[in-house]
Amino acid sequence: MSNDARTDGGTASATDTGASAGALARIDGYRILLYLGLVGMLAFFLIPIESGLVTSFKTPGGVSGSLPFAPPTSSTFTLEKWQSAFDALGRGLINSALYAIPATVISALLGSFAAYGITQSNWKQKYKAPLLALFVAGIFIPYQAVLVPLSQFWSMVPLQEWLGFLWALGINNDYVGVIELIVTHVAYGLPICTVLFRSYYKNMSEEMIEAARLDGASIRRIYRRIVLPLSGPMFAVVLIYQFTQIWNDLLFTLVLVQTESSAAAPIVLILAGLGTSLEGQDFALRMAGAFIAALPTLAVYIAFGEEFAEGVAT
Amino acid sequence: MTRNTDTGDDSGDALPDGGVAESGQRSGFSPVSALNERFGSDFVESSQFWLPPFLLVGLFVYGAIIWNLLISLTDFTGFGTPDYGDLDLEMYSRALADSGFVDAAINTFILLVGFTLVTLALGLGLAILIDRNIRFENTFRTIYLLPMSLSFVVTAQFWAWMFNFNNGVINIVITSLGFGRVDWIGNPDIVLWAVMFALMWQFAGYAMVVFLAGLRAIPDEHYEAAKVDGASTVRMYWRVIIPQLKGSTISASVVLMVFALKAFDFLYSLVGGYRPPNGADILATKMVREAYANLNWAYASAVAITLFLMTLGIVGPYLYYQYNRGNL
Amino acid sequence: MGTLELDGVTKVFPDGDGEVVAVDDVNIEMRDGEFLVVVGPSGCGKSTTLRMVAGLETVTSGEIRLASNVINDVKPQHRDIAMVFQSYALYPHMTVKGNMAFGLEESTDLSDEEIETRVTDAAATMGIAELLDRKPSDLSGGQQQRVALGRAIVRDPEVFLMDEPLSNLDAKLRSEMRTELQRLQSELDVTTMYVTHDQTEAMTMGDRIAILNAGELQQVATPLECYHEPANRFVAGFIGDPSMNFFDVERDGDTLIGDTFDYPLSQSTLDDIGDVTDLTLGIRPEDITVTEDASGDHTFSTVVEVVEPMGDENTVYLRFEDAPEGETFIATVGGLQRISVGDEISIEIPEKAIHLFDGSTGEAVHNRDIEE
Repeated sequence: MSNDARTDGGTASATDTGASAGALARIDGYRILLYLGLVGMLAFFLIPIESGLVTSFKTPGGVSGSLPFAPPTSSTFTLEKWQSAFDALGRGLINSALYAIPATVISALLGSFAAYGITQSNWKQKYKAPLLALFVAGIFIPYQAVLVPLSQFWSMVPLQEWLGFLWALGINNDYVGVIELIVTHVAYGLPICTVLFRSYYKNMSEEMIEAARLDGASIRRIYRRIVLPLSGPMFAVVLIYQFTQIWNDLLFTLVLVQTESSAAAPIVLILAGLGTSLEGQDFALRMAGAFIAALPTLAVYIAFGEEFAEGVAT
Repeated sequence: MTRNTDTGDDSGDALPDGGVAESGQRSGFSPVSALNERFGSDFVESSQFWLPPFLLVGLFVYGAIIWNLLISLTDFTGFGTPDYGDLDLEMYSRALADSGFVDAAINTFILLVGFTLVTLALGLGLAILIDRNIRFENTFRTIYLLPMSLSFVVTAQFWAWMFNFNNGVINIVITSLGFGRVDWIGNPDIVLWAVMFALMWQFAGYAMVVFLAGLRAIPDEHYEAAKVDGASTVRMYWRVIIPQLKGSTISASVVLMVFALKAFDFLYSLVGGYRPPNGADILATKMVREAYANLNWAYASAVAITLFLMTLGIVGPYLYYQYNRGNL
Repeated sequence: MGTLELDGVTKVFPDGDGEVVAVDDVNIEMRDGEFLVVVGPSGCGKSTTLRMVAGLETVTSGEIRLASNVINDVKPQHRDIAMVFQSYALYPHMTVKGNMAFGLEESTDLSDEEIETRVTDAAATMGIAELLDRKPSDLSGGQQQRVALGRAIVRDPEVFLMDEPLSNLDAKLRSEMRTELQRLQSELDVTTMYVTHDQTEAMTMGDRIAILNAGELQQVATPLECYHEPANRFVAGFIGDPSMNFFDVERDGDTLIGDTFDYPLSQSTLDDIGDVTDLTLGIRPEDITVTEDASGDHTFSTVVEVVEPMGDENTVYLRFEDAPEGETFIATVGGLQRISVGDEISIEIPEKAIHLFDGSTGEAVHNRDIEE
C-alpha cells in the first residue's frame, strides 16, 4: 500500500531481523496502541458522517427516539427524506454543474497559460517575482474584501441585455447569475491554479524547452506541442481541486444569485436553508440534502484522492 | 535566402528553410524591442500567455480591493450608487464604536489562533501516526482527509446535528459519561469553541497532508541516528523530527488562519441565515450581514478592509519569507 | 555559408548588487565546416558562450555573426542552429520519429513525405532506424544520445552546437561516440561548436580548440599547437595529462636561477626572452629523460618519491636533491624501466623541450623547438 515504506526506528527492522520474543511482544504492544490510535481517529472523522447518513433514513419518530448513530429499524426507516431532499435540490445539482464545470476548466487552462508565461519564457526574474507574488497573494484574499465592489460591478455590467438572445430562447433570465459565477470563480480561482501549475513547470526540463526553441518552435507552439501534452498530471490535480472548491463555495452564490428561490440557485445555496423553518429543524432532511450536495465532490475525492491530496498540500 | 525574423511572428511554421536574419531588418526603434530590451527577450511574446490571466486577477482581485477601500470611505447605504465626492474615515470610527464589531474582531482573533493551534496539533499527531510504517496507510489517510473535500455548507449540516441539544452525538456521549447536556450552539460562551471543534474536524486532514510531506522529506538517517543515540520514540520526535518541520508548520498555519478568516460559509449554513448564533459572530459574517442584510455597503466595506488587513498581516510576512528563501 | 564569428562577445550577469563577467571580450572566427572544441575548467564561461550563440542568453556587448549577418537579436528559433544538450532534452511524450520530425515541422514548410524521408535518412545515418517508433523512456542512454544527435542533423542546420553531449555516457560508449561524432561531422561538413571540460575530447575531436579561463579566451589553435606552443602558462598547464611542470626562476645573465637548481640557456633562447627576468620554466613530464650521465649542463640529480605504474609507462614523482621533501615534479618514463621509491637518479631537462613564461603575465616568451 505505501509507496515509500521505510524501516524507521527499531520497529520494522526488529521484525525484519527476527528479533527475540521479548522484543516482539514489546513491539506488538506498541503496534496495538498505534492501531488503536489510528482507528480511534477513524471513528472521530467518520462518526459525524455516519450519524448523518443513518439519520437521513429515519422517520421523525426515529430521529427523536433513537440514538443518532444507530441505524434505523424497519419501523423507523424511510426514503421519504431523500426523496424530498432530491426534489428540493435536484435543480440545484444541475445549476451548480452549469457553472462549476466551465469555471473549473477555464480557470485551469488560464492558470496553465499564466504559469507557462511566467515560468518557461525568458524574461527577467526581477520582473517575474512581483507578478508571481501578486498571484500567490491572490490565493489568500478573503472574498469579503471584494464582495461589495463585486456586487457593484455586476450591477453595472448590462449582462442581462447582452444575453437577451438567451432569454429569447426561453431560458430563465435568472441564469445570468450562472455567467457571473463562472467569470467570478475563474478570476478568484486563477491564483491557486497558476501557483499549482508553476510548481509543476518549474520542474520541467529547461533544456527540453530550449531544444524546442532551437528546433524553431515559437512560444505558442512550444506550449501547444510540448508543455500542454506534458501537463496532464497537473491538470488532473488542478481540475479536481478547483472543481471541489467551486462546487463547495457558498459566499459567491449568495451574493450573485442571492435567493434559493431563483431558478438558477446552486445546490449549496438551497442546502444552506434546507430543513430550517419556524416550526423547527428537520435534521433527517438536512442530512439527506447534505449527502446529495456532497455526492459529486465525494465521488471525485474517492476516485482521485491522490490528486486531491496533492492539490491541497501545495 | 532570408527568413522572416519579425519578433511579432510567432507562427513559426511558415518559414522558408535555411538562411538567417539580415541584420538590417532589425535596426530601428520599435516599442516591442524596447519592451523586450527592458524586461527580457520573451517579454512581449510570452505576454499572450500571462497577460490575460494577470489582467483578470488584477481587475477582479486587486482592482476590487482598491474599489472596496474607496467605498469604505463613502457613506453608501441602501439602493443606488455610492457618492465618491465625499470621502472620510467615518465608517472606521463607527466600527470602533460598534460593540458588535469589536466582539466580532475578538471572536475572529480567538477563532484564528485557537483553530490554527488545535488543528496543527491534531494534524501533526495524525501525520506521525500515518508515518509509522503502518498497513492500510492510504485508507487511513484518505478517510482523515475526506472532510476536506466537503463543502462548509455540508459540514455545517453534520455538525448542527452532532451538536443538537437533545439528540446530538456529542450530548449523547457526554450524558452517558455522567455529565449534563450542554447547549453547544445556544450558549454564547461555548458556541465559538464548538465551531472551532467542527472546523478542526474538517481541516485536520489538511494539516496532516502538509506535515506528512514534511516528514517524508526528512532522510531516514535522522531517525536511525536518533535511535542509535538511544533516544526514545517520543524524544526522537520532540528533539529531532519536529524541529525540522518548521517550513511545513509555517505553510500550514498560514493556510489555516486564512481559512479561519473565511469561515463565513460554515456559520451561515449552521443557522441558515446571516445572523450566526450569539457569541459566534466573526468579521467575515458581520461584513456580509452588514452588506446584504442591512445594506450598509460602506460600513461593510470598512469591515472588509479590516479583515483584509488582518489577512495581509498574516500573508505578507509569509510571502516575504518565501521570497527570501527563493521560492518566488 | 556557415562561417561563425564572435566579435568582442561579452556576457555580464547581475549578481545581487554587483555584476559577474561570465564571458569577457571573446573573439573567435570559425570557417564553414570547422569543428571547434571550446574547453576550459567549470565556470569558465564556455557554456555561456555556446548559449549566446544559440540565442538562449542575450549578448551584453559584442557581435555574433553567422554568414556575416549579426544575429545578436535573432530569436533562437530563427537562427537555424541545432543544439545537442548534455541531458539530451528529448521530448518524452513523442516517439523518436516525433522528436526528429519536430524541428522540421516547426522550422520548415516541408511536406509530410519530405519530412518522413529526411527523418528516415537521418535515422539510418545514426543507426537508429529500428527505434523510430519508440519513446525516449524506452531507450538506453547511448540510444538517447543518438536520437539527440539525429534530431540535430535531420534539420541540416548552418551550425551545430554541442554542450558536453558525451558526459552522461560511460567511458567505453563515450570513446565510441567520440569517433562517430568526428566521422559524422566531417561527412556532414557543418560548422560545429563543441563544449567540453574533457581534454581528451578537446585534443582528439576538434580541428581547433578554444581554451577559456575565467571568461577570457586564452588561445584558439589546433590541438597540437596548443600542446606544443601554448600561448600562456594557463594553456600549458591545462592541456596535457599529467600536466606540465612549472618552476619559478629568475634570469641572471645567461642562467636561470631556481630555488634548487640552475639552468643555463643558449643564445637563441635568450633572444626569445628579451629583457624579462622574472620567469616560469615549464617542461612536460614526457620530455624529461632519465640519463646515466650526470655531467651535462641540463642534467640534475633527483630522488624518487612516488612511482605510479601505468603499464605502458611510469609516472614518477621526483624531487631535486636539494629540495625539501614533498616538493616534487613529474616525469613519465617507459614502463619497463625499473625505478623504485628512494632511488637517486639523474635526469635531463633538454633545452629544446623547455617553455618559458613571463613570471608576472604568464604569457609564453619561448616555446619548445618542434622537430620536423
